[in-house]
Amino acid sequence: MVSFLRSNTFTPLSSGLYHVALYFGTPLYTIKTTKRLEVERMKQTAESIRDRFLKLGIDVPLEDIESRLDELITKFKVPSNEAQRSVTNYFLKKYSIPKNEFYVRQAEPQLTKIVNISEDGQWANLKAKVAQLWENTHESISQVGLLGDETGIIKFTEWKNAELPKLEQGESYLFKSVVVGEYNSRFQVQINKNSSVEKLDEPIEVGGGDFTPTAREAELRNIADLVGGQWATVRGKVVQLWENSHESIEQAGLLGDQTGVIKFTNWASSELPDMEEGKSYMLKNVVVNEWDGKAQIQLNRSSSIEELDEDIEVRTSTFTYFGAMVDIQTGSGLIKRCPECKRALAKGACAEHGKVKGEYDLRIKAVLDSGSSTQDALINRELTEELTGLSLDTAIAMAADALDPGVVLDKLKHELVGRYYTISGHKLDRYILVDSITPRTSLDRELLEEMLTELEVE
Amino acid sequence: MTGFFREVARRVFAQELKDSNLTSRDESDQYAPQYVLTPTGAKVNRIFLVGTLIEKEDIGTDSEYWRGRVSDPTGSFLVYAGQYQPEAAQFLADCELPAFVAVVGKTSTYTTDDGNVLTSIRPESIQQVDGLARDLWVLDTSKQTLERIRAVEAEEDPDSKLAKEHYSTDTDYYRAMIKKALESLKEGE
Repeated sequence: MVSFLRSNTFTPLSSGLYHVALYFGTPLYTIKTTKRLEVERMKQTAESIRDRFLKLGIDVPLEDIESRLDELITKFKVPSNEAQRSVTNYFLKKYSIPKNEFYVRQAEPQLTKIVNISEDGQWANLKAKVAQLWENTHESISQVGLLGDETGIIKFTEWKNAELPKLEQGESYLFKSVVVGEYNSRFQVQINKNSSVEKLDEPIEVGGGDFTPTAREAELRNIADLVGGQWATVRGKVVQLWENSHESIEQAGLLGDQTGVIKFTNWASSELPDMEEGKSYMLKNVVVNEWDGKAQIQLNRSSSIEELDEDIEVRTSTFTYFGAMVDIQTGSGLIKRCPECKRALAKGACAEHGKVKGEYDLRIKAVLDSGSSTQDALINRELTEELTGLSLDTAIAMAADALDPGVVLDKLKHELVGRYYTISGHKLDRYILVDSITPRTSLDRELLEEMLTELEVE
Repeated sequence: MTGFFREVARRVFAQELKDSNLTSRDESDQYAPQYVLTPTGAKVNRIFLVGTLIEKEDIGTDSEYWRGRVSDPTGSFLVYAGQYQPEAAQFLADCELPAFVAVVGKTSTYTTDDGNVLTSIRPESIQQVDGLARDLWVLDTSKQTLERIRAVEAEEDPDSKLAKEHYSTDTDYYRAMIKKALESLKEGE
């Protein structure tokens, strides 16, 4: 921004008796007392406008401000507050300062303690320590984490367009003009392009202890006890690794211990080593959050992975279900997936990435029914191919011949519906992610004899 | 999806379904599912059966409306498929008789002028299967029917009680039905 030196020289005035009066120090005899008061008020207004511009690093000559004010107030009978606004806007335009930037700064946020943050939309200045930096998943966010002072901690989000230098974990800063937002009935602060950050030499004490991960190790918990919104340390066995191709995810899958199984995501930015299926690990300082009512864990930069020598026993992580396949649902057969996130496309578009050139895949969303319950099952390509002898390539060819991918679904229904199967796999929501499916190939003669005997006897 | 659940496909022999005449439905909700309570206390909305398609006929006047008769060891089921069950109707139009078929569908009842309740099936799916699938279904249905008979005898749950009250269920009669069905599995051994 250009800064101007205050002009010391007397500049010829474009208009106004008052200026003459002012600059010569003595009011003209023609000016009445009321006029003199007006002059005083206008002078104050001019000073205040000048001060505000000075804060932005711009020195607007006082005379310029005064002459404009005078013209509006005296000549055009504009109310003084209107005149003040009009003159301010004129100089904003002249020096190319966005209006919103200028007016936001007028709010003059107060220095606030975290505990006193109480209003959505409130502007605040905070002296706080960066207690934690989190993984940030959104491209428009520059940094996200926790700020702490002696009264509490609060989540912060720094937007990319704030164009501020990177905050360092453990360092304390004076944050000016941050905005308070409310999300999920919790307050958080947003650092935006109107905010400024100054590093403080003196560290701010964070109430409730040191939140830096090195100093703080989350409590060891059973997988079944994990709930959203906490940090935890878990010991478990990787029971399943999922195919994942999203570049921001290093690994995803299921982790199990004696109490249950949970989905985990290891973000690429965590820079943690890969885990192997079937091996047991201690995962320290993972974040537990909830999605769709289900807890899941995320490994981030603050987390650590230690391989364990023992083999952790996983409680009934595999479900087995026997029943007749009574339905194969839409979305089965030959489908297209988003090359980015592997989600199935709907009408050629991905919910996340829009219109994409999909990749073919084969899968079955089946409903099995035992006569007293039903079970949804997801059968992946490998198992679908094995079960039906229909390869992905053949399926693609079939669909191309018929000009309709629906023929693949029909074929699957024809082959599978109405037959009895035993499936097993891990349970996720209402689905069993099938890792084995066996058709019943013979009649249980023993059961038959047993029942006949019972019926004879009675 | 709270509040939504998929109706379980019950296993009931043709003879028992034919004997059923008690229907229930939550009157306050026109979209509430309709159930048929059978003499052994099966509360049937959806049904799964495997049997032999022995007859088929297009009884439609303007558009195709297929009626198929599927037999099991105890009797036969009537399956009706029209324009709203296009896949099933297509199957009935194309298939050759006789054939082993697996049917998943919803029961639908019709009360005649003289008060008889006729139960038929509106298929969601008909697929041609093999003899093994039929045998597995007969064993499965025998087992589940026998369990229901025991529940009726013990008056274990509301459905069993209601069934016993309404039908004065002769459980020996249905035991004999199961025996007949199971014996059919032994033939041809």
